[in-house]
Amino acid sequence: METCFEVKDLNLYYGENQALKHLNLTIGRNRVMALIGPSGCGKSTFLRCLNRMNDLIENCRITGEIHLLEQNIYDQKMNVVQLRTKVGMVFQKPNPFPMSIYDNIAYGPRCQGVKEKKLLNQIVERSLKSAALYEEVKDRLHDSAMALSGGQQQRLCIARAIAMEPEVILMDEPTSALDPIATAKIEELIEQLKKTYTIVIVTHSMQQASRVSDDTAFFLLGEIVETDKTLTIFSKPKDKRTEDYISGRFG
Amino acid sequence: MEENLRDWIKPGQAIRKQKTDRAVRTLFFLAALISGSCIVLITFFILMKGIQPFLPNYAYGTVSLKDFLFGTLWRQDQGVYGVGFIVINTLISAFGALLLAFPISVLTALFIVKIAPKPIKPFMKTVVELLASIPSVVYGVFAAGVITTLVKTLAAYSGISTAGGSSLLAVILLLAIMIFPTITSLSITAIEAVDRDLELGSLALGATATQTHFKVVLTSAKSGIFAGAILGIGRAFGEATAVAMVAGNKLFGPTFNLFDITRTLTSTMLAGLKETTGLDYDIRFSVGLVLMAVILISNLVLNLIKKKVGNMN
Repeated sequence: METCFEVKDLNLYYGENQALKHLNLTIGRNRVMALIGPSGCGKSTFLRCLNRMNDLIENCRITGEIHLLEQNIYDQKMNVVQLRTKVGMVFQKPNPFPMSIYDNIAYGPRCQGVKEKKLLNQIVERSLKSAALYEEVKDRLHDSAMALSGGQQQRLCIARAIAMEPEVILMDEPTSALDPIATAKIEELIEQLKKTYTIVIVTHSMQQASRVSDDTAFFLLGEIVETDKTLTIFSKPKDKRTEDYISGRFG
Repeated sequence: MEENLRDWIKPGQAIRKQKTDRAVRTLFFLAALISGSCIVLITFFILMKGIQPFLPNYAYGTVSLKDFLFGTLWRQDQGVYGVGFIVINTLISAFGALLLAFPISVLTALFIVKIAPKPIKPFMKTVVELLASIPSVVYGVFAAGVITTLVKTLAAYSGISTAGGSSLLAVILLLAIMIFPTITSLSITAIEAVDRDLELGSLALGATATQTHFKVVLTSAKSGIFAGAILGIGRAFGEATAVAMVAGNKLFGPTFNLFDITRTLTSTMLAGLKETTGLDYDIRFSVGLVLMAVILISNLVLNLIKKKVGNMN
């Protein structure tokens, strides 16, 4: 198995408060890694370390290393803007920009200086197709993205991330604001996307974790209690706390 | 004995509460009626006074409406009242001020909300609010004392002589300063209201902070910023006292030369209002009507543009 992310002794502090404690984790390339655990256990915080979104938070201090394909992303020489073109992110609440569908997808490439209309057209079409949205919106690419349904908006956000041809897509509870049908579509999409991309997904739903992921890491109070193949975690967890959590005894 | 909440909820009480509700609703309605009827009353009064000079049986000799609306000469000493060039002057000075103040205001707002270090932010906000609360006559003396000197010096460098600095340029600069706090305040509110998730979404796509500010934050705040521009230009159109102090009140026009004196609708209405009677007094109401029409039409046009460029929400 090829390695995508290698996390080494990662600690994160909000001021005096330590939110992540000595995390070590390997995330395989072209696999889906699910991060599970009760609210406030640090899984979203950890996810935001992977594209350095925590840099934006004041008083946030990070020690340790995260390697993305052999490169330490917390290295002094690392360019954060460039990193984020390689590590895309999908948020909990769909957050399309108040622009047309087309402009939403073209936004990332344009920020990199792509102006050529033909190339942008290609990128938009390809990304929307990859996100299984093209057929639904092909006749109204220049209409506002805000008019789409919640599920469509979230797929648009995925398409927007895909447009950058990233290495990884991070998903922070991408279906928690969606109805079951829209959720099913996103999960189907994740199945497709893992052929091309590495996916790290934070989820509160045990069923979702078991349905979509290859590997699972269980977080508790800022620590990783256990990580293994999803099948193993859900059938034969090694740690009592993992077993209690996945069987619904707490959290 | 233990008390129960249910003992507190009695049928009579509910009916009393509903009565209070109805009374309060009537109160609100009356308040709205009073403020609404003020606008209607004022408009009606100005209209009645303003159309009189054009009526056939007007006591001081009927004025031709066409000559009034399209005239390019305003000589009260000769009884010639043409407001056409003044309308153009007013539009030039107001939009000139907007052109100058708008970019500065928006960038200032962006700086205050997104870029300024935390300790500076409340200080800058207070400064903008203070600027908005300075009375216009104070701006007027400032303009008469400082801006005119500036314009005079500037003109002298290019070998142009001015009427002591009173000029179209002075009016534009003055109005720009006066509408700056209005546009900035509204832009600040609009920019602050932009969903943080949108910014994060942009940054997560590898956009830089500057790209995010211009492409996502300003785009999302567009509608509110535009509302600020509309309020700002309303103030620019309506400002009389300060403008009258530096306009110079030219008798003919329109004025396109920045260093030439000018005359706006408001300065025309104000000049010598207290020392005059008859037609010269009444015609100011007509000018008021024209000003109201200009503001109304400008607002309609700007609102149309706002809808066109507004948010895709």
